[in-house]
Amino acid sequence: MNRALPTSQHTIGPFFPRTYFGPTDHDLRRRTATATPSPRGEAIRIAGRVTRAGGEVCVNALLEAWQADAGGHFDHPADPDAAAADPDFLGWGRAATDAEGRYHFLTLLPGGYVEGNHRRAPHVNLQIMASGLMRPVLTTLFFPGFSAENAADPVLAMVPEGRRGLLLAQAEGDSEGLRCFRFDIRLRGDPAEETPFFVE
Amino acid sequence: MRIDSVPPWPEGIEPQVPTEGYAGTFTHTPAVPPIRRPPGRTELTAPRDLAAKLPCGDDNLAVLGHGRMALGQYIHIAGRILDEDARPIAHAVVELWQANAAGRYFHPIDTRDAPLDPDFIGNGRIRTDAEGRFGFFTIRPGAYPVPSKNNWWRPPHVHFSVLGPASLSRLVTQMYFPGDPMNAYDHILNSVPDAAARERLIARQLPPHEVGLGWLGFVHDIVLRGRAATPEQP
Ligand SMILES: [Fe+2]
Repeated sequence: MNRALPTSQHTIGPFFPRTYFGPTDHDLRRRTATATPSPRGEAIRIAGRVTRAGGEVCVNALLEAWQADAGGHFDHPADPDAAAADPDFLGWGRAATDAEGRYHFLTLLPGGYVEGNHRRAPHVNLQIMASGLMRPVLTTLFFPGFSAENAADPVLAMVPEGRRGLLLAQAEGDSEGLRCFRFDIRLRGDPAEETPFFVE
Repeated sequence: MRIDSVPPWPEGIEPQVPTEGYAGTFTHTPAVPPIRRPPGRTELTAPRDLAAKLPCGDDNLAVLGHGRMALGQYIHIAGRILDEDARPIAHAVVELWQANAAGRYFHPIDTRDAPLDPDFIGNGRIRTDAEGRFGFFTIRPGAYPVPSKNNWWRPPHVHFSVLGPASLSRLVTQMYFPGDPMNAYDHILNSVPDAAARERLIARQLPPHEVGLGWLGFVHDIVLRGRAATPEQP
């Protein structure tokens, strides 16, 4: 078998083209720009701010979200139950931060799933790319209201106990009939406040 | 395609962070080291057909429309997207963006006083074919200075963003041009510790007689993380 070494990562820089963003790219419920959002689950809004050292805002950062559908399935060959996946839900979305460092996504509340001997709590993986970040950072957002599931999640368990709360989105009322969750991302700061990041 | 296993990043390939000479990395790089987790289902999956969401097919940046030819040296960049077993990755989404011949981006944040070219936007997105191949017609980008205290100029480079078969194979990188004396001074290229890994970020120029008269040809392969599951034998 041939071996090839992975290409080095670089920063996305400040000039990731705005023309790459379609008006519904931040909506994980749509497989195409014009598709009707999948109705199979509870529609929610996830929003927050990205900040860097000193609490300064991070402008024109790129965020990509990836999650299971409301039933906890992925339409992908690595999911043993892929046939049960929602045929209309994409589970992927992309958003850029504005001048105040704000981003938002529309999606369905993800389902948890069983993997090996563990049960994964409902979660959304987020990848953040920005000027000044030579390697993208990866984090995972968990939801309030799932205390038993969160307590049993093997990924959350790898985070030192005092920092786990930083991965929990905050319920923040309703907007246009959708439950809203706030998830701020602090790229660099006091370790007590910095968002926990992962690497595989 | 399905990614089966993921070796850790080999030594020397990941850029050193924070990066000497690149002030922004000292305010953006997390202070706490990332937590190493074994890849699970969420990391080993990705959308099956992202091209439906992200429209692909824009492979000619040099010609904006009828009679609208960009200023600059015409080039073609061809390559393949591969996995760590050097197997081609079909239907990966490849995004490319770059500065114009004067080193200015068509982007509202780039306010440098170099000229914009009305016939050059500099963004393209395509999907790799069944053999993992991609190709773009474009122009050779210009170098540009980074607003900084250390008189840093970026050498000519092309930005690439690749979305592959698993979310952990997501890659953002840059491609450089062979023989450019500016490559030796770039803080971003030289943040990669391993010399061979830096060399792999530099495209190879084809001999002109193999390309034709219209443009210069460059070849550049990109390797995503992960090894594909062995295909089932029939
Ligand atoms: Fe650049």
